[in-house]
Amino acid sequence: MAKTPTHSNGKREDNLFFVVGDEKKLTELMTCQEVAPLLQGIIQAGACYAVIVDDNSIRLWDHGRPETNRATCQVSKGLFLEGEEVAAIMVQGVQDNTPLIQGLASLAQTTLQGLAQNNLKLMLTTELHTSVVNLSQEELLAVNAKLTASEARYRELAASLKKTVEQRSAALKKAHSRLLQQEKMMAVGQLAAGVAHEINNPLGFIASNLRTLAKYIDRYRQLISALQQATATLPAEGQEPLQALSKKLKIAFIDEDLQELLGQSEEGCHRIKKIVADLKGFSHIDDGETTATDINIELERTLNVLTAQIPEGCRVSKDFAPLPSLLCQPALLCQVFVNIITNALQARKQGLHLKLSTQKSHNTITIEISDNGPGIPPHLVNRVFEPFFTTREVGEGTGMGMAVAYDIITAMAGTIKIDSSEDRGTTVTIRLPLKV
Amino acid sequence: MIEFDEQKKRLVLKLVYYGPALSGKTTNLLCLHDLLTKEGRGDLMMLDTKDDRTIYFDLLPFFLKTPSGLKIKVKVYTVPGQVRHDATRKAVLQRADGVAFIADSQATEARNNSTSFDNLETNLSLVGLNIERIPLVVQYNKRDLDDIIDEANIRRVWDPTGIPVYLTSALKGWGVLESFADLARQTYHSIDKRYDLAGRHGLSSSEFVSRLTTRS
Ligand SMILES: Nc1nc2c(ncn2[C@@H]2O[C@H](COP(=O)(O)OP(=O)(O)O)[C@@H](O)[C@H]2O)c(=O)[nH]1
Ligand SMILES: [Mg+2]
Repeated sequence: MAKTPTHSNGKREDNLFFVVGDEKKLTELMTCQEVAPLLQGIIQAGACYAVIVDDNSIRLWDHGRPETNRATCQVSKGLFLEGEEVAAIMVQGVQDNTPLIQGLASLAQTTLQGLAQNNLKLMLTTELHTSVVNLSQEELLAVNAKLTASEARYRELAASLKKTVEQRSAALKKAHSRLLQQEKMMAVGQLAAGVAHEINNPLGFIASNLRTLAKYIDRYRQLISALQQATATLPAEGQEPLQALSKKLKIAFIDEDLQELLGQSEEGCHRIKKIVADLKGFSHIDDGETTATDINIELERTLNVLTAQIPEGCRVSKDFAPLPSLLCQPALLCQVFVNIITNALQARKQGLHLKLSTQKSHNTITIEISDNGPGIPPHLVNRVFEPFFTTREVGEGTGMGMAVAYDIITAMAGTIKIDSSEDRGTTVTIRLPLKV
Repeated sequence: MIEFDEQKKRLVLKLVYYGPALSGKTTNLLCLHDLLTKEGRGDLMMLDTKDDRTIYFDLLPFFLKTPSGLKIKVKVYTVPGQVRHDATRKAVLQRADGVAFIADSQATEARNNSTSFDNLETNLSLVGLNIERIPLVVQYNKRDLDDIIDEANIRRVWDPTGIPVYLTSALKGWGVLESFADLARQTYHSIDKRYDLAGRHGLSSSEFVSRLTTRS
């Protein structure tokens, strides 16, 4: 408060103690409680670091941590108070996010300036009011109500901004993860289509040749048995060299083994065919659309495709109840199963026990996938559905598997939950409603 | 002068738009706000106006830096015109560096104008300022209206005082910038002697005025 000049006649006028025009600092106009949620919102939206510095480069408020390892972009915006640039907000993020960082910096600038301006107004009015103006109680109440309302508007604005930013960033992350997953699935689909084609052709002629071969062999055998009958009528010395040759060539054994060889080859062909069919079916290159789906078959398929990733000595138990078919996009379900089973398969190297089970209650299908791994630490269990969350080393997983699974199951009006404990491993339970 | 801080290199000036209720003080600031560039100009802050009547005050701030690095803030205020807000008027008038008196040109307002001018004189002396010395301009506003006091009459009253008079319409934007520039020029000269703005800080009178009156 300024010094009061003395009135010319020496009398001090009480209301002259107050001078309108005192300068206000930004730190007097904004509190940490007001600024912090905004800065938090900026970090949640994808920035690494947000800081407000005054015109002497002194840090006033900040949030997040400056990025030092990756290439960054920094966007700085001035904060103006009564036309003077009294501070600046600097937002830092990774270089790839430059447009987002720019947007966030502008958003923050506008909000902070609005906040400062409104608080300044509030402060000036209050000061003047308490020091000078003698309004009636009624008027005072009305004025205060008005000010509170406008203040509330700003708080609402800041809060809704935070929410909008959060929602938008969540949506962005989801879209991003879907895109990645889509790309992955497209790659798998293309690979599967290629593989299926490459394998199906030779497999086709191998199978058909095998059948022909069996027919031809049958003819040889007919001939041989006819020859054997014919030679039986010959005198003994005539039969002897033939019998010796037959013994030397192990014709009797060959005759027996041939059946088995052919049978095995045919069975092999059949298995290859099934694998290819699974691969095709799994990637659903034929049917990206909604169809009546047997979840047991999809689980089976997924497991077959993941065969190579099943560690040695792993025990896989399946407990599938007969299920009614579910109208859904099997391609999406397969994604969910791959993501969950892949996690389970990585749970431990030795002595892994993977359990898959399905059940049906009157209007729900329940799918349980569990492992006997070390479990997820309790403080992280709730975070596994967050996009980009991973407990693995960087590079091992995208951290998106569970987020995508959550996304897909939720879109199917289902639920997905995780139970994990150190002694019992991890169980993922999916419940899908049967449409009535 | 609100503040002069040698160390912080900071000078805060106060200009006050004074006058009877509804003469067009707030409209003057609105007009300046609309006409002038955003560069170095803050937003217009209107503190709770009730039915068109300012019960607190309005504030339009400007900011500029001299070549020497001196930061100058110019805060332009209006006062509430109604008689009962005299305390607020005094608080706003405290430490003013210049005053623009906004009179209402309408013939019916002559009495209110003179009452308000008397009030200005009294209040200036109450806050220790001298109306003879303080930078001052007079605006006869609302020149766009029909039933207004004629110019010859105005001249006859004011010319002998040496106070510059502007015939304006804040509504149409006539003369608003000119009278503001005049007030700024006078204010510059009144403080230049003490703070040597031209010599020590490299800020000339015309530079000061043009920085405050650059159109957008
Ligand atoms: N016709 C006309 N009306 C004006 C002019 N200046 C202000 N007014 C009007 O006069 C009324 C009071 O103006 P305002 O600026 O609020 O007066 P204040 O009490 O001195 O702040 C408003 O309705 C303005 O639109 C002007 O130059 N011409
Ligand atoms: Mg007004």
